[in-house]
Amino acid sequence: MGNGYAGKILKVDLTTRQIEEIPTSKYEEWGGGHGMGSAVFWDLCEDKTVTGDDPKNVMTIMGSPVSGTLVPGASGRTEVQAIGLLGYPHPWYTRGNFGGRFSVHLKYAGWDGIAIVGKADAPVWINIVDDKVTLEDATDLMDMDTWKTQELIWDDVRGSQSDWSAVGGSRDGGRSTQLPAVLTCGPKAGTCGPLTALIHDAGNAVGNAGFGGVFYSKNLKAVSVLGTGGVEVADTAGLIETRKWSAAYAWTGNAEDPTPVTGSWQQGASPGQAAGHLGGTVAMGDLRANACAACPRSCKVRSSSGFGNESMCVEALLNLSLDYATNGAPTDATPRVADMSNRYGLNAYQLSAIRDWIKALIKKDVIGPGKQIDTQLPIDKMGSVEFWEALSMAIIDQTDIGPDLSMGLVQAAEKWGRLPEDLADGSLPLAYWGYTHHYDPRTEAEWGWGSILGDRDINEHDFNFTCYWTTSNWALLGVTPPITAERMAEIISKKMGPYSDPMNVDYSDEGIYSEAFAKTVAWHRHYTRFYKQSIGLCDWYWADFVNPYGPDFEGITPEGEQKFLNAVTGGGLSYEDGLEVGRRIWNLDRAIWIMQGRHRDMEVFPEYIYDSVGVKAATPYVMPAFVDGNWIYKDVNDRGIDRDKAEEFKTRFYTLEGWDVETGWPTRSTLEELDLGYVADKLEEIGKLGAA
Amino acid sequence: MVDNDTKDVVGQGISRRQFMTGVGGAGVGMVLGGLVVKGFILPDEVLAIPASEGYLLVDTKKCSGCTTCMMACSLVHEGRSDYSLSRIQITQNPMGRFPDDIFMAQCRQCPYPPCVEACPTGANHADAENGNVRTVDPAKCIGCERCIQACPYTPSRMQWNAIDKNAQKCDLCANTPYWDEEGGPGGKQACVEMCPMHAITFTTQTPVQSTDGYEVDLRTGTSWELLGLSA
Repeated sequence: MGNGYAGKILKVDLTTRQIEEIPTSKYEEWGGGHGMGSAVFWDLCEDKTVTGDDPKNVMTIMGSPVSGTLVPGASGRTEVQAIGLLGYPHPWYTRGNFGGRFSVHLKYAGWDGIAIVGKADAPVWINIVDDKVTLEDATDLMDMDTWKTQELIWDDVRGSQSDWSAVGGSRDGGRSTQLPAVLTCGPKAGTCGPLTALIHDAGNAVGNAGFGGVFYSKNLKAVSVLGTGGVEVADTAGLIETRKWSAAYAWTGNAEDPTPVTGSWQQGASPGQAAGHLGGTVAMGDLRANACAACPRSCKVRSSSGFGNESMCVEALLNLSLDYATNGAPTDATPRVADMSNRYGLNAYQLSAIRDWIKALIKKDVIGPGKQIDTQLPIDKMGSVEFWEALSMAIIDQTDIGPDLSMGLVQAAEKWGRLPEDLADGSLPLAYWGYTHHYDPRTEAEWGWGSILGDRDINEHDFNFTCYWTTSNWALLGVTPPITAERMAEIISKKMGPYSDPMNVDYSDEGIYSEAFAKTVAWHRHYTRFYKQSIGLCDWYWADFVNPYGPDFEGITPEGEQKFLNAVTGGGLSYEDGLEVGRRIWNLDRAIWIMQGRHRDMEVFPEYIYDSVGVKAATPYVMPAFVDGNWIYKDVNDRGIDRDKAEEFKTRFYTLEGWDVETGWPTRSTLEELDLGYVADKLEEIGKLGAA
Repeated sequence: MVDNDTKDVVGQGISRRQFMTGVGGAGVGMVLGGLVVKGFILPDEVLAIPASEGYLLVDTKKCSGCTTCMMACSLVHEGRSDYSLSRIQITQNPMGRFPDDIFMAQCRQCPYPPCVEACPTGANHADAENGNVRTVDPAKCIGCERCIQACPYTPSRMQWNAIDKNAQKCDLCANTPYWDEEGGPGGKQACVEMCPMHAITFTTQTPVQSTDGYEVDLRTGTSWELLGLSA
């Protein structure tokens, strides 16, 4: 009987080319994933104030105890963290994760994670086959796109994939029919660091943070892993039973009679959702729903045209609206542009900000040949593959406006003399730390608060699917809500453990600044830090608040999280225990940001978020709200964030977290309560411990 | 990536596929008037092996590549999730074109099982107590791997268990010490039970085969058609 852990973490020192093992037991208290990665980073990164491209930067690539197991929407997710290259005024120590099968092979190879330190003296890729780890020459790969890189590594590691291949040196050395799982950066990722991603398989990406450039700065092109072992869990029968129990909450578990209820759901969503993002069969041909390891939701698709494989959401949507505007309907340009961002290892979120910014600059008549922003890019052909190819190559090859964009979009705007105007009116849509405006802080307040109180665009849809997409679609399509706003609020608040408050999801004009909403934000930061980012529960599957197949619309959170985790680890962790580990991780991360220079004064939005002068959503932004003594679904699109109330909210939040309200720095008592006394010592040493 | 990459001939003047599809003679296990014929003399006078009383059917176009079946298979048999110990193998090319991006490699429980024929010790046999499913008795396996070589399919549906040091294959879950369910041809199969896409099913009828493998469509006429995945 096992507990889901492989038992060791791989440490690769690229400078010395030494391979070491770290016992996982040293870090098991953090769960896995981000928590474990941050704890390892704390120990191994000697100077946490370095820039992301400094050899002293440490990157951790972590699985979790549930990696490679039957836990749905979790088995195949891998968490990555390091000091990033994207961000303003500072690229923070940050994180991202990706789906697919990398974490499965990492576990089956016998590793719970990888810590990469130093910088190689020549280009390398890391080749992991079970317990054998080697550094291979990557000289010929550094300028290669991500797909070609992976195909070459697949061939190199195991040749033909169609039959069993022996990967060890003996009969019992291990055999596999599987392709190695590879994580790689795109071509010349060092030249355009803030815009880079890491790619695994066709379309799984660690998009934000500029981690492709971090790889490149270490002379590291890729990490490949092939595992021929496996993983044991604590309660095999319990895991299978829990999986079958949870299937009743999934579309596929109700496939005989799915009776679809309009909405955007987590576990209850239908397979192949990415088809809609990519233009569907018209743009791609016949499709299959495609899943990450062990996931019943199968969000992604693969196509008969080979376009758009495994792309979804942001890269899939990168060209869709332009395609409609140009051609009146989706064409194969939409999936081909998605493929382009994946092949070139570029961050589609930043590309989408560039897209919207260029559109705004065209309206202002300041971009084009001979204009203020002098470019020969075919900006009159936005929506075409030709435009995106030209833009991508300008960034990669450092031509035209590529070098300016590659500094980061805030920095480019500064150089072009456009920062004050374009950031103030929302033309440059960067809502938090220089990250692309994703969901709107003015409406989806938890998204905004969580992002500026953290390190990046949070990209966490726990409330978003239910409280925005579902409710707004009901309004847009004229659907009579199958549950009332009061019932929705009741379901969600009862699933928030110690942060439960009847007003948790009051998105009214006053509610988003309230004490109850501070609890909501705190729950979100702590829940996601542990359950999503450390255990690996996928953002598109968990948390399961409202579910169309659940009794009276109740999803499986928090029972699901607890049942699955304990079936794997046998640890007896309660839901609340997990939230508390999340709070501990959140405070450790915050300590690192403080060492990097974080202060309360920096935790603000750009001008357009406050003054409500920026572009608003063209469609309703309907959310649950408590107005005049009643719960209603209300369109909250027409509002900005009030500066004074925002500051009051921050004070409420800091107080709730046990942080100094003047600085936003954690106090010693808070850190010691979380068994982080050594962190308090460090902050005190540099004069940045919060006042009691 | 299709299922027609069979290996060479049996060595008896007839190909495996011809043999198994009954083209070259009266295939064992074929359905005659509703009765399953479980053994008779073949043209080359080889004593036939009784037909399996169950088969897995897979719809590769419905498979999402999630590999839940592989994890479930190894979990119920071996007590660990382990791709290399899974008796059903899902291989895929993430950059490939549908439907050739995924290949589901399940044991066919061949009417004439070369793996059984090749075994010199009788370890690989038709299990009469479990509906004649072709299976391996680990105690008799000497590790010669002839069964692995003999399997006409790629990847071989016979596999080497590097932990227990014996060959193994799909037994339709007849022997699943880590599962509470009754398995085998008369019971449940973990891959069928756990596949979220319902892309694997079980039948007691000898499947219809073509040169591309079984012709299985588990999508048409189901809610799958609501998903808009076909042009």
